[in-house]
Order: sequence, then C-alpha cells, then structure tokens
Amino acid sequence: MTDGAAQSSSCTMPPRRSLFCKYFATLFVAAVVPLILGAAIEASFGYRDQRRQISAVLQADARAASDRIEAFTDGIRDQLGWMVQLPWSAGDDAQHKIDALRLLQQVPAIVSVSLLDETGTERVFVSRLLLNRTGRGIDMSTDPAVQGARGNKVWYGPVQYQRDSEPYMRVAVAGSLPAAGVAIAEVNLKLIWDVIAAIRIGETGYAIVVDDSGHLIAHPDISRVLRGRASSGSFGRIKHLVGAASGAAVITGERGNPVVALSVQAADLGWTVIAMQPTSEAFASIRAALWRSSILIAFGVLIALALAYWRAHRMSGPIKQLEEGVERIRTGQFEHRIKIFSGDEFQQLALRFNEMASELAISQQKSARIERLKQFLPSQVAELVEHSHELLEAQRREVAVIFGDLRGFTAFSTRNEPDVIMAVMRDYYAAVGAVTTRHEATLIGFDGDGVMLLVNAPVTCEQPATQAVRLAIDLQMTVQSLAGRWCDAGHAIGFGVGVAMGPATVGTVGYNGRLDYTAMGAVVNLASRLCNLAKDAQILADPTIAGKVRDSVPLASLGQRNIKGYDQALEVFAVASAGLPLKLPGSAQRGREKEPQDH
Amino acid sequence: MKRREFILLIGGGLVWPAIARAQDGAKLHRIFWVSTQSEPDPFLDGFREGMRALGYVEGRTVTLETHYAPENPQALRKIVSELPRGDVDLVVSSGPATRVMTAITDVPVLFALSGDPVALGVVKSLAHPGTNFTGSTFLSLELAGKRVELLKDLYPKLRKLAVLSNTDHPGEPLEWRATLESCRNLGIDAAYVPFCGAREIENGLMAAGKVNADALLVFPDAVTLVHRARIAELAIAHRLPSMFGWSEYCDAGGLLSYGANQRTTYFRLATYADRILRGEDPSDLPVMRPEKFELAVNLKTARLLGIDLDVSSILFRASKVIS
Repeated sequence: MTDGAAQSSSCTMPPRRSLFCKYFATLFVAAVVPLILGAAIEASFGYRDQRRQISAVLQADARAASDRIEAFTDGIRDQLGWMVQLPWSAGDDAQHKIDALRLLQQVPAIVSVSLLDETGTERVFVSRLLLNRTGRGIDMSTDPAVQGARGNKVWYGPVQYQRDSEPYMRVAVAGSLPAAGVAIAEVNLKLIWDVIAAIRIGETGYAIVVDDSGHLIAHPDISRVLRGRASSGSFGRIKHLVGAASGAAVITGERGNPVVALSVQAADLGWTVIAMQPTSEAFASIRAALWRSSILIAFGVLIALALAYWRAHRMSGPIKQLEEGVERIRTGQFEHRIKIFSGDEFQQLALRFNEMASELAISQQKSARIERLKQFLPSQVAELVEHSHELLEAQRREVAVIFGDLRGFTAFSTRNEPDVIMAVMRDYYAAVGAVTTRHEATLIGFDGDGVMLLVNAPVTCEQPATQAVRLAIDLQMTVQSLAGRWCDAGHAIGFGVGVAMGPATVGTVGYNGRLDYTAMGAVVNLASRLCNLAKDAQILADPTIAGKVRDSVPLASLGQRNIKGYDQALEVFAVASAGLPLKLPGSAQRGREKEPQDH
Repeated sequence: MKRREFILLIGGGLVWPAIARAQDGAKLHRIFWVSTQSEPDPFLDGFREGMRALGYVEGRTVTLETHYAPENPQALRKIVSELPRGDVDLVVSSGPATRVMTAITDVPVLFALSGDPVALGVVKSLAHPGTNFTGSTFLSLELAGKRVELLKDLYPKLRKLAVLSNTDHPGEPLEWRATLESCRNLGIDAAYVPFCGAREIENGLMAAGKVNADALLVFPDAVTLVHRARIAELAIAHRLPSMFGWSEYCDAGGLLSYGANQRTTYFRLATYADRILRGEDPSDLPVMRPEKFELAVNLKTARLLGIDLDVSSILFRASKVIS
C-alpha cells in the first residue's frame, strides 16, 4: 500500500518542472550569459574610456580656471609693480596718490592700496571705502606683507573673511630697488567669481577654488563663499580626497551626490582649483549603454523563458500522453491509442506503443476466450489448454495403453456396401469416442477398425491401471451392445481389447501444424499384441495391469503365452468383470468365425 | 578603489532616473512688496526687472502685491499684521519698511538696506542670517565718509557742508556720525539739516538753503531719491556742489554720487527671491554686499556751477559721466 502511494506520488510529481528547469538553465546559459558578459565588458571598457576622457576634460577646465585665476593675480601683481618702479623722493606723495587712484580705477578687485617707502612707513593710502591718506603714516615695516614682499618680491597673503563673510586677500609687491618701497593691495576675492562662474563643465559641472587649508574662495554659487570660513569646512574634505587621487576621482560632492573631480594647483598662491561633474552626467553615456544592455538582457531572459517553456511543453506533452497511455493500458483500456504527430522520435514511440497496445489487446482477447472456454471443459482438458505446452512436451512416463479391434470386420467390409460400412464405422467411432471422453482418456487414433487409447498421458490420473481397466470394460460393453445390434442386422462383428501398462515416451510428433500426440515404447506393442490375442468380447491384460487391479477387478489368468517380439512367454490375464459375459454363445461363434479371417 | 567607484557609479546611475526633477511648474508665487515710500518706486522697477530676467512672468508665475504707506510706518504695521499668513510666499521690504517687518516671523523677508542689518537686529550675522530675514545692504554707512572726501577732492575750497538727512531712515544716526567724523578729519564744518519723512522734505530743503554752506551732502534714502530732481535744482539754485549716494541723483541733476548701483542690488535681490521661492532657507543665505561702487559725475551741473573738473582727479576716477 505504501509502496503504491510512493509510486503514485512519484507519478504525480510534475516532471515538467524539472524538465523546464533543465531547459531554462540551458537556454539561460546559452542566451543570457553571453549577453551579460558582453554588457559587463562593454561597460567596463566604456567606463575606462569615459573616465579617461572625463579626466582630460576636467584637467583642461581646471587648468583653464587656474590659468585665469593666475592671470587675475598676475594682473594685480603687475599693476602693483608699476607703483614701485621709482624711488621715493620728497613731495612725491601727491603723484603716488594719483597713481594709486588710477590703480583702483584699473583693477576693480582692489579695495585699497598702501604705498610704503623704503623704511616701511606708509606714505599713501587710497581706498574705495575708507578716507584716503597721504604723508608719513604708520610704520608697517614689521607687517608680514612688507617682509614677505622684501624677501620674495611678491607676497600673497592668506585668505581672510571680512566680517566672516567676504573673502579678502592682501598682495604685496616690492620694487626692484629697495628705495622704491612696497605696494600693498587689499583684494576682494569675490571678483574671482566671474572667472569661476564662467566655467561650465558639460551641463551641470563646475569648478571651485579652495585655499591651502581647504577654505572656499570661489564657487559658482557665491553665497557659499559668503557663508564664511566656518561653513566651508566640507571643502577641505573634497580637496583632500581629490588631491589624494591621481587623475579624476569619484567622490561624494558637496550636495552628497557622487561627482567626478580633479584638482589643479595654482602655483603662486597655493590655491587649488577643483573641477567637478556629477557622475550622473559624466557617465550618462555609459549608463545609457548599461540600460540598453539591461533591456537586451531582459529581452533575452524573456525569450529564453518563452523558448524554454515552449520546448519543455513540446517535450512534456507527449511524455504526459505516453504516461497516460501506459496508465490506461494498465487499467485494461487496450483500445486506447496515443495520437502524437510531432514528426520526431515521439511519434515513432507512440506508433510502437499503439502496436504494442493492439497486440496486448489480441493476447488479452485470447486469454479471455480461454478463460471462458475453461468453464465448459473438463478440468484435465482445461489444464491441457492452459498448460498444453508443458504437457505435450516429449517425456517418459508410466502409461496405460488400450487397444481395441473389431473381429470379423474384413469379411463384413467385403460383403457389404460402403454406405453400410460407413454407418457401422460411424456408430463404432461415436461409441469409442463417448467412452474415451467418459473416462478422461486420450484417444490416440483410429486405424480402420482398430483404436488406440492412452491413460495417464498427457493428463495424469491417480490410478491409471484401474482406470484403464474400467475404460476397457466400458468400451467392451458398449461395443458389444453395438455388436448385438449389428448382429441383428446380419453383420457378424465382434470386439477384442488389450490393455498393458508400462513406461513409454509420450509427446507430439508431426510437421507444419499437423501434429499428433502419441506414445512410443514396448508397452504399446504389448497392448497391441494382447488385443490381437483377445477373442471377441474378451479383455486381455498384461501382468503389470493385473498386479495393480487385482484387488478391485476380478481377473482370470490364461497362463503363459508366447507373444511376438518377446523372448519369454508372458502370463496373460483376462478381465472377468461382472457385467461382462465371459463367454456368450453368439459371440463365441463370432469369435471363432472371425479368428481365421484375421490370421 | 576603482572597482568600488565603478559600483558606486553603476548604483548611482541606476538610481538616477528615479530622482524627480524639482520643477515648480506653474505655481503662482505671491510676493508682498512693502515700502514706506510712494509710487513711482525705482526699487520696485529694479526688482521687477530682476524677476523678469530670471524667467518669472508677472500674473502667471508671480504676483507682486505692493503695499505703500508713505510717511506712515503705523499704517504699514497694520498691513503687516493683516498679512494673510500662509498665503504669501515672500515679503520684500525696501528701506525703512524693514524696521516694521521685524514683526513677521513665519514668512521669509528680503530686505535692501542702506545700513547694517546686524545693527538693526534683523539678522544674526552677515554670513548666517539665522532668521527669516536676508537681503542686501548698500554699505551706505561705510561710504558716508568717502562721499565727503570725494566732495572735497572736487571742491577743495569746501569749508562748510550742509548735510540733508531723513531721520526716518534706519541707521541714519550712524550715518550722520560717520559723516561728522569724516568732516572733522578733513577740516570741514558739517551743518546737519534733518527732516522726518516726505512730509517734511520741503522744510528740509528750505533749511538746507539757509545754512549758507559751500556744498550739499544728501543721504541716500527713498524720500530724497523720489525728490532728487527738486534737491538737485535747489543745489544748483544755491550754487552748491552736491554729493549723493546713487547715480540716479546725478541723472536728475546732482553733481556727484558715490555708491553701489542700487539697480544691480535689486537685481541681485531678485535672485535671492528666486532661491527662496525654490525652497531655500533664508537663514542660510548670506547677506549680500556690493563689491563695486560707482562714482557718477554730471558734467552739465559742473558747468552750471562753474567747477573746473580738469584740475581734480575726479574725472578719471568716475565710472559714470553724465553730460
């Protein structure tokens, strides 16, 4: 029961799924993996190229910005250089003041200019906001601007945020002659904004300028600069990250979005120009390629899915049909036919299957017919029908052989018309057949007026000797009653029987479907001889039979007789049955009449 | 490093299409324009021009509702208290009106001031306003002394200077003090001619004519700006070289002006208005200051006054010459 359940569960387990999985895996590998691989390779190469290109663009833009910023500061430096060309002399202040005012007019970014003499004392101060001063003023010789300019000709001060908002820087230039003194300008760096704001990298890329310590000096959104020193700290991080990378680096930008950035140093000032572009824009082309690839992959997956489904369906459908067919055959529906017209091996298989089913049907019909037949047959015959193969095989066994022979038949046949002879023969054969059937014996055959019967072959019986003797008695009595009728009709015909028992080889012999079951052996000859010896109405038995039936059937020994083919004389017994007249007058007459004719 | 960047890139790239572009679309923004002066309003024109340049269309994407309370800050106060709160996106106040606007705390307020907004108390610092106020300052205070100096450069004989000032203007006392100090440094007597609001402008002008000064200095202010032509006329009538804060005064006949271009300032104010309307926090927008100052000279007035400009350095320093 459990075995059946397991079997049924294994049957209901959907084989389509596993088939589907296999097909899908195969098609997936075949179709999608190359796509993905191709896309990945394309993307990585594209990324490298794009990155190189972006690096170049950013480099160029940052360099341009840096150049323009340097031009801006160089312009201031050069203009200041004009202020310190001539040495100071008495009464020169007014002229210097005019020069300084001109400078303010020339360079809008300069808020104020101080001109110092060789001692570092302020001689002229002009400003856009504060009152101008001329004449000897404060001593600025210890000012780092003065000292820096004296040591280095040009000095750029640190960026300072006025009121913590606007970026300013001081620039000092010393004349080539010490007597020319030093010019110091205060520069409003807000004006660099023009330089930076003009830079656009792609659509949304831009450049910023930070100082050495990472504080913002210029940004396209000026309000970021105006937020002062404190809030420009995040740019230090960006400067550090970008500075650490060689070439363009992908970093998190100021708004938290990923950007590609590259920095360039402005040599004189220690400032850094950082050009950046959001990755979303910088790598837009790669992203587009990735999207294209993704769509292609998705498309490939869909096709693979559809193909796998279709293939698996094509595969599992016939399999399912075959499976159903087998199941139906199992339940006996032999008329079921599988219809597969796929034109492939499945169709072939279905064809074979149908042939098998039809043959099974025929065989089933036969078996059913036999089953039906068995109900109407004697059990021996039924067994014979069922097991004919084994029973009819040639084998050696103990059999009883009965021979019967009409007496006076030759004379009768010469004296009478053939139709009379046929009528007698028909009666005789019918009687013999009836007796044979009654005693479940085997009729080996008629030979004119003679007949040969076999007991215990091919169907076995319990007491073959007794049965053979009873058959012989019945046969003798039946034929004798027929003989009585023939006698009344004027035909003098008698009947003698011989019975012998012994080992014989039994089996079928013949050719091409014309087969006869027969027995070979000494016992057959012996029975035949005994039959010949027997007089009309007499049943002669050999010693073997006699030994076996002595207790149930009365026998009378007829003494030793010489029998043809035997070296020694055999004791022959005559069956003396109650119902069998040992010596009828008529019959004795017939027997006597007959005997010379036969021999 | 490279691989991580690559992943970052791909990740960012895939997220990108989901990011919605912040587009305000066709939302109609409502802006209150609050001022203590009366129309015509040159400041409003500058602001309008800026908004137009930024792509705003009046009536479609922005409505400018003007509220004027000439010479009556109390009336302005009433308007402010009746502000339909939550419905107004931005208040722009010009000049003295800003003082009244301090009552507003829940609507962003943009200002354009001559004085120092930190001193006025509307912002905490220039870099980080920290309140709902931000805007720009003209740096008038810092330029007050410079104007006296320029006047003296042009007219070295200057001994007595009449200073016409609207006391109703925020930061006016500071401006007067800076002027006074500058006059002292330059050896000039300063004659203070105060008046309060547009009502008293006539009185102020009469008083200025009577001080018997060598020159006239007029503090830049909405009232004097509106009456610039009359002031210039008066100066010419009294043969006084005059100094103003904005070039508009020179266009109207004033001799000299020194200060930031106020039209540019209002133009910039419009960019702040735009940013605030787009959702930026005014407390994060630093107060703007002008970095360019223009010196305007009216040659015609100079001729009328008989001043020889060639002897001074004014001409080559001038950024705007009106002939």
